[in-house]
Amino acid sequence: MRRTKQTAIAAGGVALAAALALTGCGQGFDDSSDSASNDGLTSSDDPLTVMYNPSGDAEKEALVAAIAAWSAESGVEVEPVATDVTNSTTALTQGFAAGNPPDLFYLGPDLLAGYAANGSLQAYGDELSNKDDFYPSLVENFTVDGQFYCAPKDQSTLALVINTDLWEAAGLTDADLPTTWDQLDAAATALTTDGRTGLTFGAEYQRVGTFMAQAGGGLVSEDGATAVADSAENAAALAYVKSHLEDGTFAYPKDLGAGWGGEAFGKQLAAMTIEGNWITGAMSADFPDLNYRVVELPSGPAGQGTMQFTNCWGMAADSPNQQAALELVEYLTSADQQLTFSAAFGPMPSVQSAADQWQADNPDLAAFIDGSEYATGMPTSAGTSEVIADFNTQLESLATGDPAQILASVQANLESVVGG
Amino acid sequence: MSPSIFPDTAATATAPRRSRGRRVLPLAQSGLYALLIVLAVIYIFPFLVQVATSFKTDADAASNAASLVPQTFTVAAYERLFLNSDFPLWFTNSAIVTVTVCLGRVFFASLAGYALARLRFRGRGIIFAAIVAVMAVPTVVLLIPKFLVLNQLGLYDSYAGMIIPLLVDAAGVFIMKNFFESIPVSVEEQARVDGAGTFRVFWSVVLPMARPALVTIVILSFQGSWNELSHFVVATQSPELTTLTKGVASLASGQLSQGTQYPIKLAAAAIMTIPVAVLFFIFQRHIMNTSEGAVKG
Amino acid sequence: MTHAEQAPRRSGSRRKSGARSGEGAAGWLFTLPVILIMGLFLLVPVLMALWVSFSDWTGRGSPLASGVGFVGLDNYAAITTGGGLDERNFGIALRNNAWYVLLVVPLQTALSLFLAVLVSRTVRRGRGFFRTALYFPSVTSTVAITVLWLFLFSTSGVVNEVLSWVGIKGPNWFNDPRGIVHVGLASLGVDSGPTALTGSDLLGVSWWDWLAGPSMAMTALIFMAVFTTSGTFMLLFIAALQNIGPELGEAGRMDGANAWQRFWRITLPQLRPTLFTVLTLGLIGAWQVFDQIYTGTQGAPGKTTITPAYLSYSAAFTDQQWGQGAAIAFILFVIIVAFTLFQRWLLRERGGPKRRVPWSSRLSRGAS
Repeated sequence: MRRTKQTAIAAGGVALAAALALTGCGQGFDDSSDSASNDGLTSSDDPLTVMYNPSGDAEKEALVAAIAAWSAESGVEVEPVATDVTNSTTALTQGFAAGNPPDLFYLGPDLLAGYAANGSLQAYGDELSNKDDFYPSLVENFTVDGQFYCAPKDQSTLALVINTDLWEAAGLTDADLPTTWDQLDAAATALTTDGRTGLTFGAEYQRVGTFMAQAGGGLVSEDGATAVADSAENAAALAYVKSHLEDGTFAYPKDLGAGWGGEAFGKQLAAMTIEGNWITGAMSADFPDLNYRVVELPSGPAGQGTMQFTNCWGMAADSPNQQAALELVEYLTSADQQLTFSAAFGPMPSVQSAADQWQADNPDLAAFIDGSEYATGMPTSAGTSEVIADFNTQLESLATGDPAQILASVQANLESVVGG
Repeated sequence: MSPSIFPDTAATATAPRRSRGRRVLPLAQSGLYALLIVLAVIYIFPFLVQVATSFKTDADAASNAASLVPQTFTVAAYERLFLNSDFPLWFTNSAIVTVTVCLGRVFFASLAGYALARLRFRGRGIIFAAIVAVMAVPTVVLLIPKFLVLNQLGLYDSYAGMIIPLLVDAAGVFIMKNFFESIPVSVEEQARVDGAGTFRVFWSVVLPMARPALVTIVILSFQGSWNELSHFVVATQSPELTTLTKGVASLASGQLSQGTQYPIKLAAAAIMTIPVAVLFFIFQRHIMNTSEGAVKG
Repeated sequence: MTHAEQAPRRSGSRRKSGARSGEGAAGWLFTLPVILIMGLFLLVPVLMALWVSFSDWTGRGSPLASGVGFVGLDNYAAITTGGGLDERNFGIALRNNAWYVLLVVPLQTALSLFLAVLVSRTVRRGRGFFRTALYFPSVTSTVAITVLWLFLFSTSGVVNEVLSWVGIKGPNWFNDPRGIVHVGLASLGVDSGPTALTGSDLLGVSWWDWLAGPSMAMTALIFMAVFTTSGTFMLLFIAALQNIGPELGEAGRMDGANAWQRFWRITLPQLRPTLFTVLTLGLIGAWQVFDQIYTGTQGAPGKTTITPAYLSYSAAFTDQQWGQGAAIAFILFVIIVAFTLFQRWLLRERGGPKRRVPWSSRLSRGAS
């Protein structure tokens, strides 16, 4: 009984103390921390926390092993924290607001500008000893206002993935490999059967954008300062896609009952898909018996085009041990380590010095690395990720929608974030 | 989804009045009976599908969704959950939070309910009005605010931050106050004459009499905190503090390259339903009866 | 939060003697934990969020820090009159949730009443079993039910399989962004709206799109809400029905009223207080759709399952638009309070006093 009374008083005390903390001395937020500046990195004995959202177990294991190896070598304790795609942004945002973000984390170019703007990120790109080894197009992705924020951890491009058994069954040969839209059209038509679509790709700019690039269009001008979404080139690309969604030779994976292109392809709901090099890992894990080959995407009216994706190793401005974090990034982005990652879960190296070795290791996947020569990245201005999310929403109903109307709304939205 | 349960326990013993003298045509009667059976099957069928699917292989789940018998019976989903995922951790976290919240709510709600019902003190009316007003604040509008405050207090991403905000529930105070008002004062008067202090009267005389109402609070707070999602979404970020709801939600949204994996998701959902289901069946009579008392008067 | 009706108060039994010494201190001490926790985690958060909704805080450091500026109604303006994507998203969220409310509330009320009447008036044997079966979905968590629902309504899922038994090709539920009203019109050959509707808009959403109806995905969630709430409300109705004696019905029967008329004219008016409780609880709950969206759809397909509650969360936590997120939450708050007050007003007008009106006069009024 007495204990309970004490509990009551103690509980009241806790709440009271909490109230005092709120009114007087808030400790959760760190008011004093400086905004992102590159005039020197913090250094301490603090352990590092690395947050990542792995595409699967292979990536998880490879990354944990690499981090453990570096940790043993450097003597710095590192805790890898796996999260998933849905939670990673939330966790990051909460971490920044709470002043206790992970020291290093996966960061997409679409989120870079937003976090850079509120000072959450440390711009450490210029401090990297292997700075000049990164592909310039990738560095571009992580540069805001002339500052190179973070090291690209790897890269991926899109290519055309073909089910070779179905290809042969449809009587197609190497001579039929599509190099133009018309040929893609013909191949897709030949491969479309009852219950199977010729070509599938996600209902998103991140896939449909390849057609826009091949038509000579895009969302923003090359310098990223002008919105060019409502161009005739883009309209032509969407009209092409729309016509084939209508005639059933193209289909979105969701309409086939699959979560993404790779799943629809693996389940043979579609004979071809437009996907990135990560598809190799998914195929060997989930559909090991499926025979496929990877070729470059066809040319459109304006030539070749594909999309390039990359994430970087973001570093928190609030990290107490940025020096160690920088060393870890250098280790993880070294040519050797990236080749190891590539073998484990499929991404392509972000450093040029690894390219030759990668090509030798992966002769069947040459189309992916060849694509990086002419690939387009995602726009990076703050707010563009919301515009693209809205665009993707409209792409879902492209089959019944009006391309010009869709592009006009995207143009209007883009202009409000990057300027006309 | 929380049931509206009130501890008007005095009424619980009353047997439901039969509608005597009603003569419905036997045919119509059996038709309605059949309709009811069909409806009951519709309500239960999803849960049977859930359990059946959790023992299927991925391919079987995709191709024979409605079948209640797995083609090949497998416990792979459960193995994966318990041996190769954070599921046991999520379960533990949910259990810790739920038990603490239940105990806290029972104690605080009965303490405050007793004070508001029996103790005379200045400000009582204002406190009660404030509690009633608080009941009107919808929880979803508190998502951002709760994060801000937990953060400011340094409770963000801790068990304390997960538990303390849930410890008090206005409805619980309300229920307890109503209950204490319904029991006679004479017993307490006697104890007071014997020289017992206020807390002692509350603890050893009044509280034991309040068991039916306390059971109601336990049910409500168990169900509420076990099924809570949004609070944990904004109160934590560490994987070590993930609860069942948050973990299963992330499992549901899934990772693209791993396919749909319905058996594992449904197995997780089935297991997280078990504790509330057990509670429900233990207190079934209480739940059904108290809610009958709810609308009286 | 869900208790609109009060259990009988027997405050007359309160002691008449004056306050005992120490009772005041004890009273405060006993209520202190509740006051502190509620103050800290309800009142203070609301005030803090109110400030954030008027500030330009970007999500780093404290919103109370000196660098954070007051921007007046800018955040509210951005989502209501800004003309951009933010306004459109808010409009879409309101559209989605309004349809959800419009369908869920009447459906769950009607179904729960129907179930209650069915269970309590027609079944003699196994009543307990039926009550349990129908109530069970209500005790499970939204997360678990959502996971189940994603499976049931997947492309090759249970629902479509069952539909195929009767020759219907089910829709691609959770991937179909088309509104059901638009689908219905399209089947009649109407594919686009009149310019009067498509030409003008409210909150960035054209009137034609406001009228689209819930998408197939939202419709599946509407079924889910009805499935999980009808059991709870059924219990309330069963309880109320048991308090209505059979006498009135017998009198009505003598008047020659058939079962349907007796239900409408005699039973239903007596259920009015419960009916209002159920409607109020239903309305409040239906505006707070979050768990399902967070777990299941994240707003997809085509933003047709975005709700204000989810938009508020995602604006703040994924897009770092904290001010706008807080502003959305407050607008939602106002909507819910307005609906609640409206319900209270209706309840006060008609619920209480009329309860003692003799059934016969009500019967005649109902007939006129």
